[in-house]
Formats: sequence, C-alpha cells, structure tokens
Amino acid sequence: MTFLCVGLSHREAPIAVRERLAVPAEALPAEVRRLKALPGVREALIISTCNRIEIFAVADGRSAGEEILSALGPVAAPHAVCRFDEEAARHLFRVAASLDSMVVGEAQILGQVKEAAALAQEAGTLGPELSRALARALSAAKRVRTETEIARGAVSVSSIAVQLAHKLLGSLEGRSVLLLGAGEMAQLAARELKSHGASELLIANRSAARAEELAREIAGVPVSLAELPSLLERADVAICSTGASQFMVTRELMQRALKARRYRPIFLVDLAVPRNVEPTANELEGVYVYDMDDLERAAAQNRDLRQSHVGKAEGIVEEELRAYLLQSHERRAVPVLARLRAHAEAVARAEVEKTLASMHGLDERHQKSLRAMASAIVNKLMHQPTSRLRAEAGQGPLGEATAALFGLDEPGPQPMPLPDPAPDPAPQPLPEPTPEGAVLPFKPFKRKS
Amino acid sequence: MATVLVHISLLAYVAGAAAFLTWLVRPSKRWVRAGRILLFAGLLLHAASFVAPADANLAAIGLGAEGWKGGQLFSLLAAATVLGYLLLDWKYDLPVAGAFVAPFTVAVMVPAHLVKSTARAVSPQLYHSVALFLHVGAAALGTAALALAFGLSLLYLVSERQVKSKRPGRIFARLPSLDLIDKAGYQLSVWGFVFLSVAIATGSLASRESTGTTLPFAPKQGFAILAWALFAALIQARLVAGWRGRRVALLVITGFVLLAGAYVGLLTAPALHGTVALGGIAP
Repeated sequence: MTFLCVGLSHREAPIAVRERLAVPAEALPAEVRRLKALPGVREALIISTCNRIEIFAVADGRSAGEEILSALGPVAAPHAVCRFDEEAARHLFRVAASLDSMVVGEAQILGQVKEAAALAQEAGTLGPELSRALARALSAAKRVRTETEIARGAVSVSSIAVQLAHKLLGSLEGRSVLLLGAGEMAQLAARELKSHGASELLIANRSAARAEELAREIAGVPVSLAELPSLLERADVAICSTGASQFMVTRELMQRALKARRYRPIFLVDLAVPRNVEPTANELEGVYVYDMDDLERAAAQNRDLRQSHVGKAEGIVEEELRAYLLQSHERRAVPVLARLRAHAEAVARAEVEKTLASMHGLDERHQKSLRAMASAIVNKLMHQPTSRLRAEAGQGPLGEATAALFGLDEPGPQPMPLPDPAPDPAPQPLPEPTPEGAVLPFKPFKRKS
Repeated sequence: MATVLVHISLLAYVAGAAAFLTWLVRPSKRWVRAGRILLFAGLLLHAASFVAPADANLAAIGLGAEGWKGGQLFSLLAAATVLGYLLLDWKYDLPVAGAFVAPFTVAVMVPAHLVKSTARAVSPQLYHSVALFLHVGAAALGTAALALAFGLSLLYLVSERQVKSKRPGRIFARLPSLDLIDKAGYQLSVWGFVFLSVAIATGSLASRESTGTTLPFAPKQGFAILAWALFAALIQARLVAGWRGRRVALLVITGFVLLAGAYVGLLTAPALHGTVALGGIAP
C-alpha cells in the first residue's frame, strides 16, 4: 500500500496553469470519485485552492501516481510533483500547517484542508488511512498555530491598517471611515474595516462621479472634498490615497478638528505617494498617522517574526509526522501479531480444557488458577516477539518469518484475544485494522455551512 | 488563624504575580490562567481571614473591634484591589493589568505586615464607630479602584508611546486597545472618586466623634483632599470638554500619587496622637 501525493502549487506552476486546473467546490465530489475509480486507487482527497491543487491518495502501488497524473491532463504534467509515502505525508502535514503557503502562517489553508476532507468524506472517497493522516495533520497544524507565533501579526498593508485601527479604537462597530481618494489599496482597507464592523464609509474623491460609483460598489456615502474639515471631525479612521502633490490633511487642519472631536482619537492611514497627510500631525494628541513606509515596516516585522518561528513549526510537524508514521507502521505489523496471539491462545485454551476434562472434581477457584497460569505463560512467551514485531513495524523480515514459522498465513478461526502482555507498564492495545468503509475512529470532518 | 490565612494568601498573591510577570515574557495562556486562579484562591483565603477568629497579631475587622490597626487597612486594600482586578479582567479580559495588579497587591500586603508590629490602636471613642467602619471600607475600595486606574494609566502611556513611535515592542501584541484602557481607567476613576468622597465624609464624622474637629490639618487629610479635588476636576473635564487619552492618564497618575501621599501621612503620623485618630482612616 502506498500513500501518495500528486499536485502542484504556487512554487511549481504559474497562476495561468493553476487557474486552469482549479476544481470548483461543486465539482469536487464528482472529480474525487473519478480519481478514486482509477485502477489501484483506494482512497482519494483533492485540495484545490487558488495557490495549489494537490491530490492525496492511498493506492496499491506507486504506479497509481502516474494514473492520477495522466487524469490531471497535459496542462498539469510538466509542473506536477509526485511524492510517495513519507514524503507525501510530510507534504500533507506541511500544507495543513501553512508551512508551504505563499504567506507562511496564513489561516485559510487549515479551513480549506478541513473543507476538502469533508467533501471527500461526503463523496465516499476517504478511507481509514487518509482519515488518520488528515486527523494527525490537522492536529499538527493546530499545535503549530498555538505553540508558535507563525500565525501572529498581519502581513499585508491593509490588514496591518485594520489591526492598528483595532489597537487604537477597540471595536470598530459603529465607527466611521473616511476614504480620501479611491486607490486600490485604500478600497481594500476600507472594505476590510467595513467587514470588521465599521458602520459608515464616507467617500470623497476629486471626481464626484468616481466617488459615487465607488460608493455604490462598496455601500458607502459619497461626500464632497470641500467638506474635508467637517469630515475630519466626524471620521474615526481616514484612509488617504489621492494623487495630490501637497498635503491635504495638514497639522493645522487636524488641530482645529481635534477640539470639535472632543479629543476622540483619529487614525490617519496615508497610502499615497507623495503623502497626503503632514507627518507632524502625528505629534498631536489623539492623532495617529501611519504612512506606507510605516505599514510596510510593520508588515515586514511580522513577516520576519513568522519566519523566525518556521524552524520551531517544522520541528512540531516533524514530531507529529514521526508519531503518525510510527503508528502507521505499527498498524501494518498488526495482522501477523494478531494471528500469532490468536494461535497461541487457541493452543493454550485447548490444552487447558483437555487438562480440566481429565481432572475431575476441581473446584472453580482451581480451574480459574489453571486458566490464569496458561494465560500467563502465553503472555510471557508472547512478550518478546510482540515487542520485536512492533519495533519492526512491518518493515523488517520478522513479520514474514513469524508467519512462516507458525504457519499463520491462513487466517484460521479468530478466538477471543488475550489481554496485552503484563510486563508492559501501560499496556496499549493496538488498533484493529479498519476495513474500508467501516466507521472510522475519528470525528467526521465537518463542512462549513 | 487569621494570620495564617493572610500569610497563605500572600503566598498565593506572590505566585500569581510571578505567573503574570512570566506571561509578559513567555506569552502562553497557561500563565494567565495560573495567575487568575492563584489570585482568586488568594482572595478567598484573604476574605476568610477577615471573618476568622481574631488572634494576637491581626484583630478581626468590623464593628466592635478592639482596635483598628493600620495593617488591616492595607490588608483590606489589597483584597479590594484583587477583587477589583478580577472583576475588570472578567469584564474586559485584561491579563496585562494583572501583571501590574498582582505585584502591587504584594507591595501593599508588606506594609500590612509591617504596620501590625507597631500595633497602634484607635482612640477608645471610636471602638464602636459606624463612621470609622464605613470610612475604612470606603477608603480601601476607593484606593483599590484608583490603584487600578493608575495601573491602566501607566499601561495607556506605554501603549500609546508604542503606537506613536511606530515601533511596537514585544509586549505590544498583548496590550489591549487604547480605547479600552482609556474607558476602563475612566470608569475606575469615577468609582474611586465616589468612594474617596464617602471616605472623606465619614472620616470627618469619625474625627468629630473622637475629638470634635471635623477636618483637622494634617498631611494625610491634606493629600486626600488634594487628590479628591484633582479627580473631581478630571471628571468635570471629561464630561464637559471630552478630555481623554494621554492627558487624563497623566492626571490619574498625579491623583494617585497624591493619594499615596495620604497613606504616607497615615503611616508617619505619631501613634495615638489626637490628629491621627481624628484623621479617621486608621491609626
């Protein structure tokens, strides 16, 4: 059985390729079923976002990778990367933890992976192996987010502006935002402020027609630039992006507005070059001026901070990956172990029953003792082989040798398993191999409504 | 019994302070949770100490006590500060204020222990005084509220400086919004002012009960009146002219320093001297 990943991301393919391969959410179930129907593919999952399309699958052999690749079509072929087993699992863990993202630490990818898992589950293409890998990858991603600062701090200019607005004004509910000029980035910031609760978007532009058009687009109120002094008395945040060659918001203008504002703080975001806001206005009480350089610097600082935590995050991912791989290997060793145990127990039980039948008049206490002794002998004898087989995790020769030595190839009748060997300080029963389609030991992946 | 409880609660406060200060350096929510639990546990023990049977070191507070001791006032003040902080934290989620409050509480508890050694009693006329009881209670609550407002004002200045300088430090991400600090600080100042007013009024009544003078002239009373006037002006300026932010933070800090002057006056006043008992807070 092979765990594999075929896909491409922003690292391997330009957007022109990615947009042709992207699978819309409504088409995902059908697409993932199509992939699962390919020869040798047992389980399949598609993660399709604007930055990547990745297919994770559990298959009978590596050749399934080629099948999947050819199913993706000729557009993908020159860019796609095939990863197998450990590498494929590592990739899944890194993608979920946002270590492979364009902006390291971004929050959306975790939701996108969960969404993809839920869709695959609904489509019936998620089996036990992929489910386990996903569950572990998601928990690793969660650890990365809580134990490192990789997701801390905004890294884009507009989100920095929103974060600072929160820092100054607290909740943005009911706040008034003034847009001076209609620059792209200013619009972006205004939209983000509105989505955070700002109730009023005042839009002033040199061209009144443009102001009205924009007001319609983003549900704002067009206002005249001539009203600037009174607008500055009203707004809590002003985003400036006009092409004016001199300061529009001067220190003097702001000083006059302050008294009328009753010293309510105002956040002036100056995204224009040349600048629209006189820098010395920042010296006034309750006036906070941030220009493009300041915002960029803050963004860069946060990017550096995130970068400095990448090592720690990779460590967590690696730790979780190791644990997952170990468990996975152990599970593969289970069939031989289970058969060996069953065999040993069957022999012991048969012998005990034979002995008991020949010893008439043995009271219940003695019968119990005899059974316990047989069980103890089995446990003692089984302890060493069990540990060795577990340690080998299905990778070495012992599994096959055990099967050959004890004639375990043919699964015989399955008696009740004996408890785990006593010498283990904390006996941990190995999970039974889950047949495909059986109820999984994980919570179902939920889709966002 | 009461002394043992106070000692254990002091230990809990010290541990709580350590947890909050650690959180400043290592931002893990575990430290905040630990700090909150420790402060809360300390407060419960501390409250229990007030109702526990009095012993040789700490008399139980309340009417009919043999004597108010300065230590009790500080002990009460510490408990009120912790209670105020826990309420504030519950409402606004302000662990960063805990990093100030917990050490402050420990600092206040130390005089509570020092003063008891001098064991100064109030004048016998005041043993059963309702006015003195109200005075001490109001003074403790008022001072606790203003201490919290003082802490928030310091926090405001630090936070505002970081925003203005555009060079946020390590702690910046953990600071609440300027608006929140400003509002919470103002609310606490108003409560502090109300309790301070009650404390001054009842103090003056107690003073008249013991010596007949309503407002004796002593450093403690002088500082308390100055602080009260400053907070009155501050509230007026906020309501009428909309003062807020930095200038209000500076005024709150000044007001609290003046109030601290009243406590210095209390501690340095001669024992059992007429004016001390007259002053009302505690001998």
